[in-house]
Amino acid sequence: MRFSSFRALLEYWAGQTPYAPALLCEGETGPRAVSYRELAAAVERRAEELRQTGKTCLALFADGGEACVVTLFGALRVGMQVVMLSDDLPDAAAGVLLAYTDADMIWSLDGEREAELAPFLTAGVENGRGRLLFFTSGTTERSKAVVLTEQSLCSSAWNGSQMLPLTQADTLLCLLPLGHVFGFVCGLLWGLACGAAVALGRGARHYGDDWDYFRPTAVSVVPALLGFLVKHRLFNRELRCVLIGAGSCPSELIEAAKALGVRVSFGYGLTETSSGVAISTGGDPYAMDVCPDDTVTIAPDGEILIQAPTCMMQGYYKRDADTRAVLVDGVFHTGDLGLLDSDGRVHITGRKKDMLVLPGGTKLFLPEYEARLSAALGTAELAVFLEKNGAPALLLQADPAEEKAVREKLRPLMEELPRGEQIGKIYFTDKPMPRTATGKIRRWEIQKEDGQ
Amino acid sequence: MTRQEILEKTKKVVYDCMPELKGVEIDEDSVINTDMGMDSMNFILVVCKLEALFDVKIPERQWNKLSTLGEVVDAFEKRINK
Repeated sequence: MRFSSFRALLEYWAGQTPYAPALLCEGETGPRAVSYRELAAAVERRAEELRQTGKTCLALFADGGEACVVTLFGALRVGMQVVMLSDDLPDAAAGVLLAYTDADMIWSLDGEREAELAPFLTAGVENGRGRLLFFTSGTTERSKAVVLTEQSLCSSAWNGSQMLPLTQADTLLCLLPLGHVFGFVCGLLWGLACGAAVALGRGARHYGDDWDYFRPTAVSVVPALLGFLVKHRLFNRELRCVLIGAGSCPSELIEAAKALGVRVSFGYGLTETSSGVAISTGGDPYAMDVCPDDTVTIAPDGEILIQAPTCMMQGYYKRDADTRAVLVDGVFHTGDLGLLDSDGRVHITGRKKDMLVLPGGTKLFLPEYEARLSAALGTAELAVFLEKNGAPALLLQADPAEEKAVREKLRPLMEELPRGEQIGKIYFTDKPMPRTATGKIRRWEIQKEDGQ
Repeated sequence: MTRQEILEKTKKVVYDCMPELKGVEIDEDSVINTDMGMDSMNFILVVCKLEALFDVKIPERQWNKLSTLGEVVDAFEKRINK
């Protein structure tokens, strides 16, 4: 079914299959089911509470629990703008983002956080109805907010359901953060759009045992998580479908997952396109069929261009120039390089932008990241690159004997970042960074020197 | 429990979770990051096993601040001996 709003989605399934489980949550003696009818009713109650606050823009620290989901749907039900924030976002960055996105209300399970961030709240927003703001990468204070809508997200979920249909007998395990669009669409909406049950994962501590607890049949993961699951052979026997997204995935990892007896698909999409644009459904996980609502073309320089009228972002929040730079006459310039094969399937071949995509799905925008490292270290002679295992490493012009002092200088910055974004190995060189005539770092030379 | 006992148990858990570190000496100053081979998923595994072993929890918001093995030991010591 194609829906235009979350309310329409919930009302449809509450009417069709009122007693079927919409959510599976942690219970006292085992998973606790929340039926579609119960979920729809809970959302209505929450909506009424939120309506009475008179607030217009909710910053939601999305922990992925039942209360979070109900509050999210309830806020949209009453026309609030909702800002999706990672639950692990440091307070300093969160304060900046609250002001940028015009939030006048915070939802978090952490009461202390609500109190600490209250001074950053604003007077709210006009005309925010139906809008959800997601961030383009790991949410730092410099991130751009992408304006999506209930309609664009529902369309994206419909796209997914056309490519990889779930049934009402399925249980989709939602492990990924809902503050990221891949986690939101492919971890939650995909299941609800199909009338399946969505098991709300119990957090990072339960990555190892949510499988036995919920017995899912489908799951969406990022490459880093897949590596962990495969290494420890955690999949339950009922699992039949694994969707990988948000970053490139080594072929040996995909083969190892297949060897465990599950169907593995790979998805390509961006926050700006409300997640999925192409998904592999055949034997080759790297040959991705374009979703029904999307059109993919390849520019003369190899850049992937996307037209997705139903799924495209409205723009970057309050950053019109940035929007115009990438969205031209309805065509989104992805910054990714790729090709279309003779069957019209998309293959990703590289990146045009100065950007790294980490195994956890987070994007590192290098000029910004390197500027922060430069400020911390007091030198511009450095470059960040990815090692073969996907870990960010630093190349620095300095004496190797200074490593301890370098790490101390980097510590305050590293503590602000999620672990996956922190610098691992530091390589020292006595030469300055190789640069182009315009001063840009020749990254390919660095990778070549590193033997990658 | 003494700090030394916590350190030894922590090291054992790290070695159990990361057999590839066999033969590599680790101490309180060891930086537990991808340089050591500990990615974010391995880190979660180690912390969860330590939480179960010591029966205390480290709030997830503090995980990013634990850079060295010594800081992991500090975090657990503070809560165990509270």
